[in-house]
Amino acid sequence: MQTPNLYFFAAIAIFFSVLIVIAGYYYWRNRRSSPAQFEDLFAQLKWIDRNHIAQVALDLVDPSGRSKVDEEAATLEPSQLWNLIGGLDGLEIMERNSEVLIALAFYVQQWYPEAVPVAERLRLDARELKFHVGRLRGAAQQGNLQISFPFYAQRAVTTYYRMTRRVLELYEAANVPMVADLQRSL
Amino acid sequence: MHLTGLDLLFWAAGFVEQLGLLFVLWYRRRAGAFPFFTALVALNVTRTITLYLVNRYGTNNDYAYSYWTLAILDMTLQLCVVYEVASLVFRPLDVWAEDIRSSFVWLISLSLLVALGLTWLGSVPSQTWMQALTTRGNLFASTLLSELFVAMMALSMKVQLPWRTHVAKIAQGLGAYSLISVLIDTGRSYFGTGRERPAFVAISHVRMAAYLGCVTYWIASLWPDEVPARTMTAEMREKLFTLQAQVAYHLQDLRSRKK
Repeated sequence: MQTPNLYFFAAIAIFFSVLIVIAGYYYWRNRRSSPAQFEDLFAQLKWIDRNHIAQVALDLVDPSGRSKVDEEAATLEPSQLWNLIGGLDGLEIMERNSEVLIALAFYVQQWYPEAVPVAERLRLDARELKFHVGRLRGAAQQGNLQISFPFYAQRAVTTYYRMTRRVLELYEAANVPMVADLQRSL
Repeated sequence: MHLTGLDLLFWAAGFVEQLGLLFVLWYRRRAGAFPFFTALVALNVTRTITLYLVNRYGTNNDYAYSYWTLAILDMTLQLCVVYEVASLVFRPLDVWAEDIRSSFVWLISLSLLVALGLTWLGSVPSQTWMQALTTRGNLFASTLLSELFVAMMALSMKVQLPWRTHVAKIAQGLGAYSLISVLIDTGRSYFGTGRERPAFVAISHVRMAAYLGCVTYWIASLWPDEVPARTMTAEMREKLFTLQAQVAYHLQDLRSRKK
């Protein structure tokens, strides 16, 4: 037997440990965030005042989702937006809820594979929401939150509002019995 | 090559289990959904028969040649299974999800670099170049596959692309086996290869036992159906179609706003 190559074994030990930690972490996160039952998923939705969400979103788009023309759009004052949304904390709740909304869409998609495009669009919407919230976090770190908040926050809320409408419409289209629970929450 | 009773027991158990898995894939109609995985299992059945016959009736050179050829095929098919799993997870609308392409290329490149680096760093006390090549080849394959499976798992969680049950089970089984193989191939690099070395024989038995566990897991996981798909009524389909049209419009609208 030749002299063992210590660098090799040290590298393998580091490599193996890192992989096990990453795999364990994501496996645990996946188990925690993907409950199999609707009730468990539903319980993960954090409460947000849906009237406030609608008010902020409908200041930018009409009820059908189309953008308002310039003079009618974005009439809310920055201070009103901050209060209605609940500041950065409110947006962070929406960010977490957006993950639950995707899981809710996947829950329906398991029975109705035709719902894949809606689930995929929701996922991309959630990425967009995260992008807006990320910009605001960056602005907060640089002390520019007050300036950036109205623009990014209102777009983030509009995206979230559309996500909630899509999930509701998906559950209505699929005729899922739990739609009443969702209507009360979203 | 002399085989002990334990060697023959592992061979026989492996053969029976792999035939069982092949039967599950065919009988439960999973082969169509996972063609590369089915081909991998079929190759393993063929490999067991071929290597047994070559060992019994061929020379040592014949055995080494057959082993190496089949190992390359096995590695190729395992990479195809990685592609199959990635394709089922990251192509929800039959095209690669637009937000994962660059991350995926980056992860594959990094995985290849790390696997090559570890393989290059390893020192193999082997008697022949064929043994050295086999040991390094196995180490490269197991490090690369384990990295790819862990990377796919992390990436799918990050971009929130869910795994359907059977895809997840196949990936978990192969990922776990690749991780165990990293340790086994490291052991081979330390102790060397060749049946005259007791440590090599013991390590080979551990590998076979790990693989048997993995095949048992696949049989148990792939036998039950996933959640059965339901058929939408015409009214539901129409509602969904309207919803999809709205979604497409809203998305286009949002994209134009971002610019």
